[in-house]
Amino acid sequence: MRNIKIFNIKSLVLVFSLMLMGTSCSEWIDHDLNTDPDAPADVPMNLLLPAIQQSMGYNLVGNNTVRTNNIWMQQFDGTDRQSFTEARYALKPSDVNNPWGSIYTEMLMNTKLLINKSKAEGKESPHYEGVGQVMVATTLGIATDLWGDMPFSKAFKGTENVLHPAYDSQEKIYDTIFTILDDAIVNLSSTSNVLDVSGDVIYGGNVSKWKKAAASIKARHALQLSEKNGSAAYTQALAAVANGFTSNADDMLVPWETANKNPIFQFMEQRGDIRMGATLVNMLAANDDPRLPFYAAKDGDGNYTGSEAGSENTAASQPGSYNAGADAPSVLMSYSELKFIEAEAKLMLGQSGAQEAYEAAVAASVLRVTGSANTAWLDANINGVTATLEDIIVQKYIAGYSTNQPYADYRRTGYPNLSLANGAVTGSIPSRFPYAQSELDYNTENVPSVVITDKVWWDQ
Amino acid sequence: MKTKFNGLLTLILALLVQITFAQEKTVTGKVSDASGPLPGVTVVVKGTNTGTQTDFDGNYSINAATGAVLQYSYLGMQDIEKTVGASNVINVVMKESAEALEEVVVTAVGISRNEKELGYNVQSVAAEDINTRPNADIVNSLAGATSGVQIVSSAGDAGASTFITIRGSASITGNNQPLFIVNGMPIISGGGSSGVGGVNTSSRSIDINPDDIESLSVLKGGAATALYGVRAANGAIIITTKSGKNLSSKKIEFHTSYGIDEVSQLPGMQNTYAQGNNGGWIGGFQRSWGPKISDLEYDGDETYKWDPNGKLVPKGTGNGNPAVAYNPYDFFQTGTVTNNRLSISNGSDTGSFFFSISNLDQEGIIPNNQYGRTTVRLNATTKVSDNISFGADLAYTNSRAVQIQKGSNVSGIMLGLLRTPPTFDNSAGYEFPDGTQRNYRNGGGYDNPYWTANNIAFDEDVNRFTGSVNFNVKFNDFFNISYNGGLDWYNRRYIDQFKIGSRGAPTGYLGEYMYYTGIFNSDLLFNFQKDITEDFNAKLSLGNNFYSTFGKSLFGDADGLEIPDFYQLSNTSTNTTSSGESQFRTMAVFADLQLGYKNMLFLGLTGRNDWSTTMPENNDSAFYPSASLGFVFTELEAFDDIDFLSFGKLRASAARTANIAGPYNTSSYYYGASTADGWTNGVNFPYNGETGFQVGTGLGNPDLKHETQDSWEIGTDLRLFQNKLGIDFTYFENKNSDLLMSVPIASSTGFSSVFLNAASMESKGIEISVNATPIKTENFKWDITANYTQFTNIVTALAEGVENVFLGGFTVPQVRAVVGQEYRSIFGNDWYRDANGRILINDDPTDSYRDGYPMPNDAQGMVPIGDFNADWTANITNTVSYKNFTLSALLDIKAGGMMYNGTAFAMNYMGTSKRTENREVYYTPEGTIDFDLTPAENIVVMDGVYGHVDANGNGVSSGVENVTPVVQDEDWFEGNGSNFGGGPSVAAMEPADWVRLRNITLSYDIPKFSEVVKEAQIYFTGKNLWISTPYSGVDPETNLGGATNGQGMDYFNNPGTKSYLLGLKVTF
Repeated sequence: MRNIKIFNIKSLVLVFSLMLMGTSCSEWIDHDLNTDPDAPADVPMNLLLPAIQQSMGYNLVGNNTVRTNNIWMQQFDGTDRQSFTEARYALKPSDVNNPWGSIYTEMLMNTKLLINKSKAEGKESPHYEGVGQVMVATTLGIATDLWGDMPFSKAFKGTENVLHPAYDSQEKIYDTIFTILDDAIVNLSSTSNVLDVSGDVIYGGNVSKWKKAAASIKARHALQLSEKNGSAAYTQALAAVANGFTSNADDMLVPWETANKNPIFQFMEQRGDIRMGATLVNMLAANDDPRLPFYAAKDGDGNYTGSEAGSENTAASQPGSYNAGADAPSVLMSYSELKFIEAEAKLMLGQSGAQEAYEAAVAASVLRVTGSANTAWLDANINGVTATLEDIIVQKYIAGYSTNQPYADYRRTGYPNLSLANGAVTGSIPSRFPYAQSELDYNTENVPSVVITDKVWWDQ
Repeated sequence: MKTKFNGLLTLILALLVQITFAQEKTVTGKVSDASGPLPGVTVVVKGTNTGTQTDFDGNYSINAATGAVLQYSYLGMQDIEKTVGASNVINVVMKESAEALEEVVVTAVGISRNEKELGYNVQSVAAEDINTRPNADIVNSLAGATSGVQIVSSAGDAGASTFITIRGSASITGNNQPLFIVNGMPIISGGGSSGVGGVNTSSRSIDINPDDIESLSVLKGGAATALYGVRAANGAIIITTKSGKNLSSKKIEFHTSYGIDEVSQLPGMQNTYAQGNNGGWIGGFQRSWGPKISDLEYDGDETYKWDPNGKLVPKGTGNGNPAVAYNPYDFFQTGTVTNNRLSISNGSDTGSFFFSISNLDQEGIIPNNQYGRTTVRLNATTKVSDNISFGADLAYTNSRAVQIQKGSNVSGIMLGLLRTPPTFDNSAGYEFPDGTQRNYRNGGGYDNPYWTANNIAFDEDVNRFTGSVNFNVKFNDFFNISYNGGLDWYNRRYIDQFKIGSRGAPTGYLGEYMYYTGIFNSDLLFNFQKDITEDFNAKLSLGNNFYSTFGKSLFGDADGLEIPDFYQLSNTSTNTTSSGESQFRTMAVFADLQLGYKNMLFLGLTGRNDWSTTMPENNDSAFYPSASLGFVFTELEAFDDIDFLSFGKLRASAARTANIAGPYNTSSYYYGASTADGWTNGVNFPYNGETGFQVGTGLGNPDLKHETQDSWEIGTDLRLFQNKLGIDFTYFENKNSDLLMSVPIASSTGFSSVFLNAASMESKGIEISVNATPIKTENFKWDITANYTQFTNIVTALAEGVENVFLGGFTVPQVRAVVGQEYRSIFGNDWYRDANGRILINDDPTDSYRDGYPMPNDAQGMVPIGDFNADWTANITNTVSYKNFTLSALLDIKAGGMMYNGTAFAMNYMGTSKRTENREVYYTPEGTIDFDLTPAENIVVMDGVYGHVDANGNGVSSGVENVTPVVQDEDWFEGNGSNFGGGPSVAAMEPADWVRLRNITLSYDIPKFSEVVKEAQIYFTGKNLWISTPYSGVDPETNLGGATNGQGMDYFNNPGTKSYLLGLKVTF
């Protein structure tokens, strides 16, 4: 009996073993398991769009690039740690890895994918394409003004194994920006559109506002070529202005909220190494400018004060609710900026209406920042006071606080007059950003060799 | 030691089970060796439980039948068998054996082999060396125990992670830690990497109760691990737990210990200067560049809430209470560890079982840092017949920890502590009655370390089950089938909570994480063995393996907590959730052929073919062969007369092993969108009522191949002078090619990485182990064990156009893999240098650089500035036994290697580091240093040659040695003398060599005092009681990112510990 039982166990073991051995490879090695259950292989355009816009707001006009060049423009001052180093004009390639990376991988790459999807057969959606094109031009424009030559025509081809993209000259990038914007206006005007734009946190899918934005961005960059193109730059800018923003309601803003707080707010909360720059604060204080309490917070003594460039005055005011409130939006382009463009172009061309545009520009800024018209202050300080080019640029500098435009205009016009920061490690205020460490490391053969006092093309 | 243990067990068994038979007679005799009578020799009647032991004069007496076989065994002697004949007296002379060589070691896939036969290096670690150490994680106890194994503990926190590699690294960005096998089951052992901030979490090797371990062997090379195929590239740790197998009656072991931990070395801090700037006191200021503390007193202002003594004012203008320099290190406490372990085991002809339960509770040196572990293990075997056995092995572990914030993190303990000015007393209160924080930044800046320890907690809980079943069916002497299959499964959850008002989360934060993961493994072996001729035998195993892993996580977090101190996801309007899942499978068939000739020549051949779901469908298979040869040349007749050489073996082996891609790398995906800028926490989705996705920045690749590791080693094992001296030498080479990695690419491609078979690296070096017994008398024994390891681990190629790859660290510096350099180079900014690498010291009075100081070369970007890897390591254990006392000391040496001391570099800026103490400087009216007034020790000449930077940004050397005296003053340390000031990281690189008394143990075997108590031992162990290192920070055996490939970073790392442990082991 015992032997029979054992024999049975042995047989069972043998059968079990042979079954195990015989389990076929194809049953166990199921390659469908290698599809990531957490990540879709494709997503619709309305899910890509807000992610691109969020990154633009956070990285293009949020804390990353703006903080550095607003320190250089003495609107902020870096009073501690890395920001103090930046205040003395030391900016290393590794310091700009994050903005450079987000511009390419988050903003431009995803917009390229969005534009490709907008052309899908049977679902042709030129409105999405146009929105994507305006975002590409906006991003590329701000980026090239900081970096000059950039990879673009050979970029975004990682899937085609182009791993070392060549650089386009800034001149070519500018041509591209204008071409893309012209295309965008055509697309946004299209009457045969399948999918309406949704997921749009900037304009809520309002196509006519995107058309105005396309024209406004075009005006910005036409004007930026004033050193290169002379009066043609102003003429082209004015032509674009005509189709641009018509009120503050058209402003191209990226919103922030409790769950996703403003980047400068987060920087002040988590790092806190900047204070208001003395140049801007003194300018505002001298004129009793109503924007001051919104631009700056009160310091410990209840005053609005700025830190002189490089002076590490940590007792100075912190940035205010306008740009550092938890839900303060980040500004990609404003009606006010457009009116300043108009004012400058008309002034330089000797056309009438420069003064009106200037006054409208300041009024728009004051209204947007303070929430009220402040007509009395405007009448006393701006209206009727004939504006020179310097006046226009200085007021544009004030209105453009916490954007990249003051730095672009400063390099173009030399206004406002700024003195070198205390402890400067360069002989002049830097004329550009360095290329990212990732380009030095992984695109070595193409990245131009620059130092941060080299001028970009439109500045030469 | 294992032999001794088994011998003892056999003896107990023999004494307890006295079975006599009618036809037996009494055999007596004397056992001796070359030096005289041998007491304590175990004598057993073969095939029975009858046994005895020789007395003090070597005499024994035993009942045995005529024709029975008596077995004589004794530690360090060759076993002898004698058949009982007509005579009633059997005298025996025993010969010394090469003890370790008679050891049976468990090799890959659970196949037991006699160590003598092996054609590759395997090293065993004694169970006592693991279970008497004051380490919760067994990996820490392996440090210094063998050659060829590298271990770094992330910090001294209770429950902190460990990082282990064998013979260096085989992968660029993938796993480099060895496979852990417990009773034949691969188990999850990794984990514990943390990034530069956060907390130190545990490596899952901590879940093993060290007292459950019966034996542990380290498989180092490819041939040793080749049967593990795609899991073989990093070596293996093979653990066999205790069982009741060799018992015939119950055995109860109780082990208790109590230990205390103290903080070991700490960074030096200045205690001369107060908080402030430019020599003036500023309350709430970030830095300590204020006046001399001795020149200050308090003003007694009771309205000044930041200091109960009031503000600091110049002497003579306040209330006369002088300013005080506080000792920030009073923060640390004495840690305690209580550990109780109980096991019960039994065995008989029909089966055996082993049951253990243990509980460890540890309080760290940082207040509120805790680790606790409860384990239960049951393994049981039943014999259905002589030829059929079934068994099961079940283990449960609960690991629980409370971890405290560390590293680059505004809540980090050391960050807040070491930046605090000496004039601010963190301990005078961390929270005001209104719930706001009291810290040296007047509520801003960094968390008060006491706030962090009391108001921020990372509470972790792991429940883990490991279970396997096994059977062995012997069909005949020629053929048997064995099977081992089971599951290792755990659930990990943590709650990460920040009180409202924490600097890292001003509105409060809660993160709640749930995760489960597991491994399923099944190994079936058909085993054949045959003695083909008297001299020639063969063993063949054919097997198959099924393996799968799976994991699923769920995470929810929230800031903006509404109700203070209530940590629940409902307590906010802004919670976000995410989930993750991962799964893959492999299967394999394999064969293992062992041929032996005349106990002299042993040839092993293995082959394994693996299939994996993570590889492309058309390329999912790979074959891995190995061959090894062991040649015991002392078996040759020519060596019979060479007396001094007791044993000699030559080994040679070669193998190909490999690795597969992780799951989901064959294609590209979209992911839920989020963005951050490197400065802030950033933003994510849902956002503005929308859902967002973005394309993954890593490109998948449908054309992946398997990684390949080609390795070979040669070695020799020599025993000299009757085994009093043993030398083991190994030379090895591992060439790893087609290494799979995310290759970083320029983000202008639209992506930041592409997954490729890109890299190759090699590791080659030597391992030497020496065992010696210089003195051995009846009462006194002195043993020396030493291991020496020296190897290089060079990255030979990365992808085309890629010179280096990020492994860990900061924006700057980083740990990287760099072509042509040792794996893990630290990459950072450098000074301007001349062609010979000497630092240029500025001699151009017209430029913006200070004269007499070096100039940072920012334009160059980052370059290699050193690496953490040792040039060589060695460890020496001296064990001295006198009667019942044994004293053992392990000296551990690491020579070479550099570490980034970012802690000191940042403290320079803050004005708190020791080196900022010499800051006092006086100037002449002309603005030059007044050498009469300035203390001499405050004047330095920077090492380098004169030079300047030309208009093109190039360094130009004048070739003349710098002799310009300068001062390292506030301007220097707030400039290029610190990271925040813009100084290059190279200035923070420090040598991280060490010599340490890693372990010292004194034990006393209590003489038998009771029939109930079979054995008792009391011991004391000390760990890291002495460390000598040039490193000026915390114990350099640390890593900021925990258990990651990116080693060598210190940025406000939590400190290491020294430990004292008292233990008692009793066996009933």
